[in-house]
Amino acid sequence: MDKLIDDEMLVAQFQAGRQNAFDELMKRYKSKIFSYLLRSVRNYEDAEDITIEVFFKAYRALENWQPKAKFSTWLYKIAANLVIDYHRAKARHPVYALEDMEIPEANLVATDQYSNPVKELEEKELGRIIRDAVDQLSPKQKAVFILNRYEGLQLKEVAETLGMAEGTVKIHLHRAMKRLQTILNPLWENNDI
Amino acid sequence: MPKCKKSEGQAIDYASKLLSTTEGEAFEQHLKNCSDCNQAVESFTTVLNLTDMAEKEVTLPEVALRDIEMNVYKRLAATQEESLFSRVRAYFANLESLLQWHKTAAASTLVISLITAAVLFGELYQPEVRLQLTESQSADARIEQYFQQDIQRHLDDAMITHHLRNDAWETESHLERVKEQTQGTNWMKVPQTLSFNKTTNEVAKGY
Repeated sequence: MDKLIDDEMLVAQFQAGRQNAFDELMKRYKSKIFSYLLRSVRNYEDAEDITIEVFFKAYRALENWQPKAKFSTWLYKIAANLVIDYHRAKARHPVYALEDMEIPEANLVATDQYSNPVKELEEKELGRIIRDAVDQLSPKQKAVFILNRYEGLQLKEVAETLGMAEGTVKIHLHRAMKRLQTILNPLWENNDI
Repeated sequence: MPKCKKSEGQAIDYASKLLSTTEGEAFEQHLKNCSDCNQAVESFTTVLNLTDMAEKEVTLPEVALRDIEMNVYKRLAATQEESLFSRVRAYFANLESLLQWHKTAAASTLVISLITAAVLFGELYQPEVRLQLTESQSADARIEQYFQQDIQRHLDDAMITHHLRNDAWETESHLERVKEQTQGTNWMKVPQTLSFNKTTNEVAKGY
């Protein structure tokens, strides 16, 4: 399928009964949605399940979809709502699982004479600490930060996705940055970085 | 922390590359004379570099990504089956509730019908006086009893008719027939006590 065909055209084709158009939309957005969800829930299996749920919901709602906003924004909106549901459910029924992102030490072996497993482990640990800092943000701050910083959404699109005013998005983003600065500042002040 | 509070938000926006070209240039001019904001920009830039580095490590599992489409269609197919099943189940659930309602209605109708039947049957069924005749009684005596019963029934009817319809003429007609029937019986004395000139109430009292 022609890559130049925009999302809205594909939606129109799907609404006209062309099933393949939805396959193309999935192909375009599955990585983005998956990565957003993975950063939001920090669990591969849950992120995969929610990604499937996002496209499932999109498929069922697409028939009546009106192009009031960009298709991608709408898709992120579904994902963001599912993340909220996920965290609510998790708060009601907390499950204590092993950190999915953690790399088992057994995997950290020298692959060649130049590799340094200890350094790799330190880097992985540092990465985990920084990700934990992002996870300490409030749900709204985290959503705004991830959508803007990693999914590349403009502030206006973030506002549409999360259903808030653009000014509010900016406030959440500033607070997120200040909070991260407060959490991570000791790392470089103690020369850990 | 910058003492220049006004510019802290701008420092964040500048580090995040959220300022427009004009705003960015104006802020760069400000940075030339503000060490606090320079420090802030450096600090926020470090934060962003760190988080970018950490998030870059997040890799997407290829297998999961490859199976997304298939799993979405599986989920859709399962829901369609589920919805068909739930539709059938809902139909039966509705039917059951309908039956429950029908059961209640049927039971109520039955009770009402029984009560009505009991009332009507009680009204209509007037158990006839059993003839307490012995073998020794003569046939004339039996006939006399039959007549008495018949006359009594007619008198009852006449009274009831009058009571329900307030129809004196009908009552009198009945009484006339009673009188005719009593010919040749001991009940001849009954019509003699009755007069067509009397009111029906008086008839009732006289009877």
